[in-house]
Amino acid sequence: MRKKTIHRILFFILMLCIAGPVLFPFLWMLSSSFKTQVDIVAWPPRIIFSPIVDNYIRVFAEQNFLKYFKNSLIVGLSAVSFSLLLGLPAAYSIARFKQKKLSVFILVARLMPGISFLMPWYIIFSRLKLMDSYVALILSHMLIALPIVVWIMSSYFESIPLEMEESAMVDGATRQKAFLSIILPIATPGIVTSITLSFIFSWNNFMFSQVLSMEKTKTLPIAVYNFVSYAEVDWGAVMAAAVAIMTPAIILTMIFQKYVVKGLTMGAVKG
Amino acid sequence: MKARLLAVLMLLALVFGAGAQAKEIRVLVANHPYGDLLKAAIPEYEKATGVKVNVESLQESQLTTKLTTEFATNSSSVDVFMTRPLQEGKMFYKNGWYEPLTSYDFSDYPDSAMGVARFGNKPYLVPLVTEWQVLYYRKDLFKKAGLSVPKTFTELEAAAKALDSADVAGFASRGKGAAAVTQISSFLYNYGGAFLDKGVAVFDSKEALEATRFYGKLLALYGPTGVTSMSWENIMPLFQAGKVAMWTDASVFFGQIVDPAKSQVTAADVGIANMPAGPKTNNPFFVVSWGMAVARQSKNKVQAMDFIKWATSADLAKKALVASIPMSRDSAWADPAVVAKTNPELVTTQAFAAKNGNPFDRPYMSAVGNARDLIGEVIIESINTAGTSQKLADLAKQKVKQVNELLEDTGEYGMY
Repeated sequence: MRKKTIHRILFFILMLCIAGPVLFPFLWMLSSSFKTQVDIVAWPPRIIFSPIVDNYIRVFAEQNFLKYFKNSLIVGLSAVSFSLLLGLPAAYSIARFKQKKLSVFILVARLMPGISFLMPWYIIFSRLKLMDSYVALILSHMLIALPIVVWIMSSYFESIPLEMEESAMVDGATRQKAFLSIILPIATPGIVTSITLSFIFSWNNFMFSQVLSMEKTKTLPIAVYNFVSYAEVDWGAVMAAAVAIMTPAIILTMIFQKYVVKGLTMGAVKG
Repeated sequence: MKARLLAVLMLLALVFGAGAQAKEIRVLVANHPYGDLLKAAIPEYEKATGVKVNVESLQESQLTTKLTTEFATNSSSVDVFMTRPLQEGKMFYKNGWYEPLTSYDFSDYPDSAMGVARFGNKPYLVPLVTEWQVLYYRKDLFKKAGLSVPKTFTELEAAAKALDSADVAGFASRGKGAAAVTQISSFLYNYGGAFLDKGVAVFDSKEALEATRFYGKLLALYGPTGVTSMSWENIMPLFQAGKVAMWTDASVFFGQIVDPAKSQVTAADVGIANMPAGPKTNNPFFVVSWGMAVARQSKNKVQAMDFIKWATSADLAKKALVASIPMSRDSAWADPAVVAKTNPELVTTQAFAAKNGNPFDRPYMSAVGNARDLIGEVIIESINTAGTSQKLADLAKQKVKQVNELLEDTGEYGMY
């Protein structure tokens, strides 16, 4: 009995050692988002302070962050959806027909520094009058999402025994039918993982949105800079905006956490 | 007959066509108090002229990235934009991105400001906002220690030593490499040194090295801990928290350090004074930090010219100065009604710097970013050794060589 208590305490201390450094910046951000500018820069830091919500009011009422949320959502969800539409069949084909060169090619697109795409994209999109349009942003964000989908899913599909679809095909299903009604349902954990990861990467992307969006399609990571001006940083509002931006990503991860871990390890072991 | 009719029709179509289009312009402003002021005033302009102004506000480095991408790909729809003359002016001009402003009346601007607005014999940008180096200090701490405000570098060092304690740093200024370059400039000038002389890097001269050593010594002995990673974003909060007795930086921060919503130090305890004199002279920097320009690629130049004349007008400048934005126009500072509403100490330092100031706070060249990184290394070496580094001279010589190579790359070496 006593041994168990000691174990518990030790476990708790260890957990604190690991979680502390990880959570500290987050807690700092959260508390600062409720502080006045004076309290934020106060030294020594004020643990006890009278919380205010002015920062959140500035973020949502004065700067209209809901609009930027909407933009980020439209871009992120569309980019992920189209990436799944193209990426899932591609990943299946890579897995089943051993198209290693193709998968390396897709990886190279991901490894190239994103900035090298920007100039050509800018020229193309402005000639097509697509600047400040969702189309341009969604297409650019697919460069982030598609490789993630293909890479996670191709190793996932490889881990699914060939017999599964063979038996379906023996029963008269076409390969397409087997893919849709046998393979995809089995691969759900992998799909959820790739959705979560690619959505978060798109949600946090700064570089593509910075150049390709303007006022109408501005996304969240760019909008945070509304609070950083020449010779002045509104830390309270920056923190409040950061909290607001992180929340959906955290919720999404919490919901799908089980799948994400499973999906990642599946890919890692069998890939 | 038929042909003539056709020609008349075409001419009419052209006139009406031109009149019908271009009722819209695109303006890029920085996240800057003047940008905010403009945004608030634009509806009036739209009402008066019938031109629709699409205005976007961006953080300054985003603004540069956006302008550079749009102009470089030759597919920009920007008509008017805010620009930083010292940081990007030379590059923008050389790339042909500024439209010459030959029809603009520049008589209300000081010569020092026009020095960076003009290239060759034509003006390319309108100076908007100026800033100059000042000494912020804590009146209460000075009074308690029985000190008077330092007028020379010797007095500055003595005061820093006397005011330095475990709790309060005696003296602070930027220590973070490239960011420190602008703030060390006045020290350099006051010692008789410079970054560039006639288009050649000279910050390894005896005077410049003395200044660099002095700056390093002050910050190492009396500066806040970790000063080599500090820019204004880090030092201002320290000053606002009452942890700094003296701080030399640009005048733009004054409004924020006396704002009770942002500072723990009461406004009555904050003083603002001229930069102390060096052994040689007293020429603090007095620079045009922001200007406004018309894009060469603009397709609506008539509207753009009209807009820039309004956006940089004397009326708006006066309004801005009352809101503590230090404007470039002389008439704003000469208007007694405006000056009465401005902090008297700020007015005094402005008058001094406008008369004696140096119009550059950094090496004025196209590759200014790279050059600042290189000079920053020399500054950091000096701070890390409290100004005593044996290899400082060699390091500076090496960096001078590299800056000269940058100047040669862009064909600016020896040109001025």
